[in-house]
Amino acid sequence: MTSKIPGADEFTSRPMPRAELLAQISPSLPLHTGDDATEVNALTYEVVRHRLWAITQEMGETLRRMSGSHVVTESNDFNFSICDELGEQVQVGTYNIGLIGSMDLAITWTLRHRSDNPGIEEGDMFLCNDPWIGGGLHQNDAAVLAPIFHEGRLFGWTTAIAHQVDLGGPRPGSFDPAAQDVFGEALPTPPMKVVRGGVLQRDVADAWVRRSRLPHLVGLDLRAKIAANRGAAEQILRLIDKYGADTVKSVMRRMTDDAERRLRAKLETLPNGTWSAVGYQEQSRSGDRGLHAIKVAMTKEGDKLVFDFRGTAEQTGIINCPYPGLRAGIVFTMLPLLAGDIPWAAGGLMRCFEIVTDEDTITNASFPAAVGKGPFGPAWGSGNLVAEVLAKMLDAEPDHRTDVQSICNGTTDLCVVSGVDTRGGGSKGFVSPVFDVMAGGYGAQVHHDGVDTGGRLIIPSARAPDVEMTEYLYPLVALWRREQTDSGGPGRQRGGMSGSVCYVQHPDQRSSLSLVVSGTGKVANQNVGLAGGYPGNSQLDLVVRGIGDPQLASASAIPAELDDLGGEIEVLPCEGTSSLGAGDALYLHWQAGGGYGDPLLRPAEAVRDDVVAIRVSADAAREVYGVVVTDGEVDAMATAETREKLRRRRATGAGRADAAPVPVTEPALAGSRRLDDNLAVLDTTVVCTHCGTGIGPLAGGEFVGALARRDTAPTEAGPHIWRDPSVYVDAEMVFRQLFCPGCLTAVYSRVVPVDHPLPDDDYGSRA
Amino acid sequence: MPYALGIDVGGTFTDAVASDGAGRIVSAKTPTTPPQREVGVMRAIEELAAELSIEVGEMLAQTDFIAHGTTASINALVQGTVADVGLIATKGHRDSIYIMNAEGRTLGRSADEVQDTLRQRKPAPLIPKYRALEVTERVDHAGRVLVPLDEDEVRRVARALVEQGVEAIAVCLLWSFKNGDHERRVRELIHEIDPDLYVTLSCEVSPRIREFSRTSTTIMNAQIGPRLRTYLTPLQRQLEEGGLKGPLLVMQSEGGTITADRAPEHAITTVGSVLSGGVIGGQRLARQLGHRNVITTDVGGTTFLAGLIVDGEPVMAPGSIVNQFPINAATIRVHTIGSGGGALASVDAGGNLRLGPQSAEAVPGPACYAGGGTRPTNTDANLVLGILSERGLLGGRKPLSTELARAAIREHVAEPLGLTVEEAAIAIHEVQNAQAGDLLRRAVVQAGYDPRDFVAYAFGGAGPAHCAGYCQDLGVAEVVVPLGPVASAFSAYGLAASDVALSAELSDPSSFPVGHDVLAAHFDRLETDLQRALDRQKVKFHDVTLQREIDLRYSMQVNELAVTLPDTEITEASGDEIVERFEEQYERINGSGAGFREAGVQAITYRMRAKAGLGFPVVLPDIPEADGPDPSAALLEERSVCLDSQIGYVPTPVYDYSRLRAGHELVGPAVVDVPTTVVVVPDGVTGRVDRLGNLVLRYQRDQ
Repeated sequence: MTSKIPGADEFTSRPMPRAELLAQISPSLPLHTGDDATEVNALTYEVVRHRLWAITQEMGETLRRMSGSHVVTESNDFNFSICDELGEQVQVGTYNIGLIGSMDLAITWTLRHRSDNPGIEEGDMFLCNDPWIGGGLHQNDAAVLAPIFHEGRLFGWTTAIAHQVDLGGPRPGSFDPAAQDVFGEALPTPPMKVVRGGVLQRDVADAWVRRSRLPHLVGLDLRAKIAANRGAAEQILRLIDKYGADTVKSVMRRMTDDAERRLRAKLETLPNGTWSAVGYQEQSRSGDRGLHAIKVAMTKEGDKLVFDFRGTAEQTGIINCPYPGLRAGIVFTMLPLLAGDIPWAAGGLMRCFEIVTDEDTITNASFPAAVGKGPFGPAWGSGNLVAEVLAKMLDAEPDHRTDVQSICNGTTDLCVVSGVDTRGGGSKGFVSPVFDVMAGGYGAQVHHDGVDTGGRLIIPSARAPDVEMTEYLYPLVALWRREQTDSGGPGRQRGGMSGSVCYVQHPDQRSSLSLVVSGTGKVANQNVGLAGGYPGNSQLDLVVRGIGDPQLASASAIPAELDDLGGEIEVLPCEGTSSLGAGDALYLHWQAGGGYGDPLLRPAEAVRDDVVAIRVSADAAREVYGVVVTDGEVDAMATAETREKLRRRRATGAGRADAAPVPVTEPALAGSRRLDDNLAVLDTTVVCTHCGTGIGPLAGGEFVGALARRDTAPTEAGPHIWRDPSVYVDAEMVFRQLFCPGCLTAVYSRVVPVDHPLPDDDYGSRA
Repeated sequence: MPYALGIDVGGTFTDAVASDGAGRIVSAKTPTTPPQREVGVMRAIEELAAELSIEVGEMLAQTDFIAHGTTASINALVQGTVADVGLIATKGHRDSIYIMNAEGRTLGRSADEVQDTLRQRKPAPLIPKYRALEVTERVDHAGRVLVPLDEDEVRRVARALVEQGVEAIAVCLLWSFKNGDHERRVRELIHEIDPDLYVTLSCEVSPRIREFSRTSTTIMNAQIGPRLRTYLTPLQRQLEEGGLKGPLLVMQSEGGTITADRAPEHAITTVGSVLSGGVIGGQRLARQLGHRNVITTDVGGTTFLAGLIVDGEPVMAPGSIVNQFPINAATIRVHTIGSGGGALASVDAGGNLRLGPQSAEAVPGPACYAGGGTRPTNTDANLVLGILSERGLLGGRKPLSTELARAAIREHVAEPLGLTVEEAAIAIHEVQNAQAGDLLRRAVVQAGYDPRDFVAYAFGGAGPAHCAGYCQDLGVAEVVVPLGPVASAFSAYGLAASDVALSAELSDPSSFPVGHDVLAAHFDRLETDLQRALDRQKVKFHDVTLQREIDLRYSMQVNELAVTLPDTEITEASGDEIVERFEEQYERINGSGAGFREAGVQAITYRMRAKAGLGFPVVLPDIPEADGPDPSAALLEERSVCLDSQIGYVPTPVYDYSRLRAGHELVGPAVVDVPTTVVVVPDGVTGRVDRLGNLVLRYQRDQ
């Protein structure tokens, strides 16, 4: 809200009180407020509610059926909502939740700035891809907002939004790792009337597709979104015809109120306190070698949450998102973690939290910051931190421990491939991100391992394409696509594995392909483990130059490992560009989920099963889990020995070489209240749940100072952690662990810069 | 007298129907006898013969064909009691079946479940990783061999799997549907090691792009094929020894049949056989009643299944999902739309009444069955409402306990919502109807149709008690409850009445305009293929009809739309006509103005479907006519029944179905007791008995 460009602040949207919003809407636009609605009986409520739910699902099917975009048809990167007259979302889809995280802000902006000129009328639809206004999180997210009128009054809105592969700008895919500001990216477009009186406006549609390298695809998707909105409007009007506008509006109000009431009731049962988390964006743009912190302190009091992001780094490079992105980052984490069992009447859920933030930061950037990386950079990064603080809060309440989940794949592994496809003698330009990376690992839970190659927390219906679809569409051949052994964060519960994919050019491809890569989590892992669980793998993107069998031209074998490829490895930066030539291979290893609890406490049989199922290597089983597996069976004696040795090694590393570790006995600790897997509070003292050792006072987090602490090289965490951080950043990186000073069970295990703050949580009502 | 037999081997009962083609139809019901299901089948056949008062041998000697459907394969898949299978995949791509395109967490799950993100996990893998092995070979998107098959490696891998004791091997290599040479060679090499081992090739069982669903289909085929073989082989032998004249045919999910000797090889195409039987039964009945568009609803204890018949033909789907794994086998589209009669009623944390998705299943069953169930179901509500009588169904099942039903409803619904037991019962009844009606409507609308153009059929144990309610908001013209001689064996009737349906397809992606010579050449080839396939069925056919289809899309799209070609000679004008049909159909589904001709139109897959009648009219017989519309001669009793929350309990006539005659008219509120079910005729609805003994319900607003 403090742009140095005069006039830019007009193009921003923040939540505002209803009265203030109403005052800014042109009186020429009559609203259906449903104020005279009467009580709706339970039956009608259920029928109408089910139907609204069904309508959003149908919107998804329409979009997927009509779209030509790989992103939509193969990867479900889209979403929908049904909103009331002021844009409060009553029902949202289960696709990319980030895409509805700030849709209400786009509608309120439209109401404020379009209701008198050009007017909002029956049969109109508005197209928007301005990340400062809301709807999408970056310019690639294009929304179509459709007002619904009944008897001349604005009854509500439906929205359809999807990621568009290319909307122009200097680089294919519309994302430029070297952008100086938003003028070096795709053009943000504030809401414009693309459908007027039911007719697609050809001039507006042409202006829209003309900017793209893929005008036909963008044109098809535009029509698909319009059709999805139109179908939804028809059905909502049919519902109104049958039950009356006031009744339908009452149901909508009750849905949001009900969702709010249920979330507040859940929050009431959780402990009050303040939990903090700090994460990093690596490299602000091509050539940068810094780490840029995002900080959050979440305070829960009574039935509400406050997310305080003060202290987050100032806006810089390309790793920025405007306010709607920050809000979406909270929403796309909060809905699956706190509201899985509450209907997603998102408007009601959004009433339960507040945001406190500085201006001009990487998570609240002002115009004209480069924001193309918003969703998978700072917004996702904020979401990971929100997931961490929510998990810590939930872990302290026994009834909610089933809702605790370590962090999933920390972000996407973006690699946009583009060029001219010359297969079959043709020459067709193409642009596409590699979507195999959708198969990220899920974080471990208290009672379950994370789901292997499970998808995305923030896109509950995420999908990766079949290899055959990728090879059909683009001139690539996949040497392999597989689940990556050892990638899941080690823990008492193991994080879900991620995968890797390796592509070479198809033999008929005659020209080099361009690559744009972006991804944070290559050194400061974002897929963190909780309660002592280790992080999942470091993201790793490589181009191997001069491989033994270019384009498989004369191959009689197929390389199965990086070592089999031959050639020179080029490590791709966190933010940068590269190319894929005839003699090259592209390797992407995206992120797994974090573990939960200390891997030394994982039952040996579970580790053996992991070894048999090729999820964990025998080496990692021994080195990280301390479990010795020989011929598919646990060697119990060797395992006990190894685990004891590893605990002693921890003690030595923490400067306590002389004290023998206290045995793990899982004492009863009557009268204690649990904080997480390892720690409980007895009276006012934090004790270890595994050996009973009293650690220190909970008040003021004093016990943290009494934990044993060890900083080692990142690879101490396992073979899945990148060995040489200096390839990417200047900061000194360490694998930091905090242990129970008695039994040396890990209670905290992170790969962080050496100046990373120690945990600072206030378990207010547990103290 | 020639006969046609339909046999439906369900989980609990084996139903059978015999028709003599001249208006006589008899049915039989015997317990299913796992693991030797053929024993129960032979018993059902004996019962049919007894009903016809002839010897079994005599009947079999005059039987033109037996159409057979079984739930054994689908149940084995659902319960995981399948053969141990090994997989051979392309080097580097074994994990396709484990990665599951990342959608394994949510495939086939309801939207409510998907939203509950933290609880969604992948299913147990179809096979352990150590039984999934890779071989060096590579084919590209055009079917060209990039890396030759390493035959020594294949031998090593096959031997390793055989040594692990696998009962079957599934082979799924990348792009095999474009070039199946490598897969076929792998089979030869396996058979050099073990000539009898059951081997499934993906290029034969599912020649379609997208390797995840193709692999999944291939593995599941290998998991059920060997056991289908061990079941069908002795059954066929016994029937032949018993003198069976015609072939034993196995129903396929897509509504056609396959001969028993070839069925095991294509086992996966038969998993939906019994579900499809109900839709086919509906189709046959529709033909007799002159209905073009029908919504069939089959409501059992646990599930509510719906199928669509449009223009006299069942609506198809290209695949289905079992245990979160996809099956690529064309199937009559059967929508599982929620819960059946045993659906549990509960009140959720937000104070909303919910029905299902959990069900009381056969054990413990509804509370009123006194089988130990304490949670209320639809059936319990129906008992409290008086729809069901305490003496149970007329068919002689055991009595029901109103006391237990009331206690369950009181504790779990009435008290939490502050309602009386009676109010809670009618709320359960009405919410079930509203919920089912909504889902049903969605299924119809999503398939691109307007329910107002349809009539609905309702069968299954719980369908008739609810159909007037769940169809009310659909806007259908009428609801037919089939009650003739096959009321309790409707799926078996569908089996007996089925046609042989076969299809052949070829893939040739190309942009329009496509030359008419190309179109003609493709369809000529497909017709030759189909004719050969029909010859293999060993049955006499009559009226073979062929239908040509092309899957089309706008050139940048990924999903195609199947467009049926007119039944005329292909000429130079055909290309334009096809594009016009495509755009017309596209706009019908996606809304007017949705078309985008600027993007260009592409043809992807050419398909020809053959439908061949079995030369045998399986028609339902007429029943005796009534003297007039007054049904009082069939009045069984009058009891207090509540069918509508706005009306409450009123004295309601209850009729005995066996005494109803064609032409009788029932004015709601009324209840009809049938041996196997109860039909509800609410206020505002009238029911007329038609000439086949069906009860036809109409809403008075339409009259």
